[in-house]
Amino acid sequence: MTSEESINLLAVVIDTNPIAWATAAQDSRCPLDFGRVLEQLLIFINAHLALRFDNELVVIASHTNQSLFLYPPQLSDTDQPPDASSKPANTYKQFFDVNQAVIKTLKDLITESKSPEDVDDKSMLAGSLSLAQTYINRIRRANDPTPLQSRILILSVSPDLPSQYVATMNCIFAAQRVGTRIDVCRFRGKHYGEESVFLPQACHLTGGLYMEIPEAENLLQYLLYAFLPDPYMRSVLCLPEKDQVDFRAACFCHKTVVDVGYVCSVCLSIFCSVSKQCPTCQTQFGGQ
Amino acid sequence: MSDSLATVKNSIQEYLETLPKQTFDKLYTQPATCLAALRLLPPVAKQIVMRLLYTQRPVLKADVEAWCFQEHRSDLRDSLKKLAKMNICTETGSEHLQINRIFQENMHNALVGGGTHASFGKPADTQDKYEVDIPFLDRYASEAWEAVLHYLVGTPTEKRPKAVGRLLVASGLQEQDGRSGVTDDERTMITSKGFQFLLLDVNVQVWSLLLQYLELAERQLQMDIVEVLNFLFQVGSLELGQSYSIDPLTDTQKMVLEDLKWFGLFYQRKKKSSRFYPTRMATSLTSGSMIAARKPEEGHGYIIVETNYRIYAYTESPLQIAILSLFVSLQARFQNMVVGLITRDGVRDALAKGITADQIITYLTAHAHPEMRKQSPILPETVVDQIRLWEMERNRLRVSRAYMYNDFPDIQEYKQLSDYAEPFGAILWKNDKKRILVVTEEGHEQVKAFKKRKQAAKGIPGSGGHGRAQASPLPSR
Repeated sequence: MTSEESINLLAVVIDTNPIAWATAAQDSRCPLDFGRVLEQLLIFINAHLALRFDNELVVIASHTNQSLFLYPPQLSDTDQPPDASSKPANTYKQFFDVNQAVIKTLKDLITESKSPEDVDDKSMLAGSLSLAQTYINRIRRANDPTPLQSRILILSVSPDLPSQYVATMNCIFAAQRVGTRIDVCRFRGKHYGEESVFLPQACHLTGGLYMEIPEAENLLQYLLYAFLPDPYMRSVLCLPEKDQVDFRAACFCHKTVVDVGYVCSVCLSIFCSVSKQCPTCQTQFGGQ
Repeated sequence: MSDSLATVKNSIQEYLETLPKQTFDKLYTQPATCLAALRLLPPVAKQIVMRLLYTQRPVLKADVEAWCFQEHRSDLRDSLKKLAKMNICTETGSEHLQINRIFQENMHNALVGGGTHASFGKPADTQDKYEVDIPFLDRYASEAWEAVLHYLVGTPTEKRPKAVGRLLVASGLQEQDGRSGVTDDERTMITSKGFQFLLLDVNVQVWSLLLQYLELAERQLQMDIVEVLNFLFQVGSLELGQSYSIDPLTDTQKMVLEDLKWFGLFYQRKKKSSRFYPTRMATSLTSGSMIAARKPEEGHGYIIVETNYRIYAYTESPLQIAILSLFVSLQARFQNMVVGLITRDGVRDALAKGITADQIITYLTAHAHPEMRKQSPILPETVVDQIRLWEMERNRLRVSRAYMYNDFPDIQEYKQLSDYAEPFGAILWKNDKKRILVVTEEGHEQVKAFKKRKQAAKGIPGSGGHGRAQASPLPSR
């Protein structure tokens, strides 16, 4: 399989959790500005589209209480199709469409968001991952038998959610099965973005890249260097790898990350404490 | 499909690589051109460009080499060579690589949509009273292109536009009809190159004509090649079904628009109209995707070939019939089909015009009827083999330059020489009875030296002369 013949699909999952971004923006050492990050991300997306005319793209926002498509735009019946003649002559049509759609949907999302008290600091990562994979699958089927190279890039800033452990892992296994790589670009500051446990596992299992970005200013260079090469090019170019992967899991009973736990010998559920009966599959332990 | 794509890509690139460096600098002032140039590059080169795009200082060449795994270093080197040829990356000093500043700036502009270049086409401000839709444009483009092919095969039609005639002659697809002695534009004849052209894929046809147009524009029409190229790359980035304003175009570009309109690349309702619509042929120029305007016909192939060399073509198009008649002797014509026979004479006529057996076979395969496609191989093997055999038949003679050795004084000397020359394949032909040796040009020096040595050893002055045989047709073995 060569990169010339297959369709190249990039799914970008943006973590848009307002609380995590607000915390990051208040960091005194190296504040993280969502606007700046978005600008650079859009250039990166344009670069992906620039490489080939038939490169495919999907952008998904992973918000506090929902995941939704930023691009391709979800047209409802009431929406007018965008007026084509409004496109400035200085912009390539495709770039313009993508950027407009992403910015517009993001704005809507932010204005819709509830008051700060109602918002929790979780983001729907598992949901976004499934959304990305359903989209990838649709494109794969639509283009059959042309091969498809797909990858998911997660731009992550909020902390891990042990409550979504099972869902996230299922997504990762699904991606592994169809050969979709999961790349993670995670912001790491002094006071935000503590080390993630699940995301490195996602990269490790699917053969993707995990990178921690110390400062947002150089984000674009990181993106263009490490995340632009498509899966085929990864076999040609040397890219940084994470050698140490934290394989810790979250227990199924209290959703906390555990170093040492107990595993049900029948359904392989993980628990932090011993019990007589497996809460998942009801198997009786211990016998007499 | 990927074959034709590769051919198209290569032909543009080969053309671009012949341009001088200054031309590239002028070309890269347009972001649309930068984008198109980027897409023409091999995958590794694209990544290199993207990595260098936001670097300010020259980068160490050794560092760039380290980007690639050892076993792919040759890919990397090829890519760097390509980049240098396209003047995107230049070597500064012996160890550093530097991205072309003009390219860098305008590629950045393309990515962020900045600048005031308007190189991605200015959509018309006002609503078109006579708006046209995409199916109309597709139909328009395919009719226009078919008309061009009709001019080429010389189907009597209405007066053909000057631009088309000029280009067809300049590209050598047609020539002035010498016999009539009239130097009128109208009297032209298709050449063997023209016949070959007809059998090509549409994509390749369009690009090869455009490349000819570029040459013509530069040499005869005194156009600025940079403006023409920028325009072509610009239309590659336009959107199908959208009308664009003519105002931002330069005078040269308006002339190009006027000329290429006849080939179905653009639609303009009237000559004075202030807007134009690019057709699918134009918008897919740089993407290299199949030109869908012709897809309906290609999708439904129309040719059935039987093992008895009989051919049934379900078509009414005079053009397709004209193309078929190049190598098929047509026997009957019905309302929706023609019947013909693939004969030795017919194929030999086509071969004599410079068409190759491969082209015929590719054409028949590409246009095979859906019923034919169900079987594998699509064409009957006997027919394919026979067409190839007919081609080989023509190649029974081979001409090679050679030296003839004759008048040997005795059989020993003849034997010695022939035994010496035989093992390394220097002998093309020999006749033991008449003692004649024909030696290849490459082997001649060696054989001559050997002969001299032998004669010196014997002390006999050279008696067996050798004459330089004119390159005479020799039977191939």
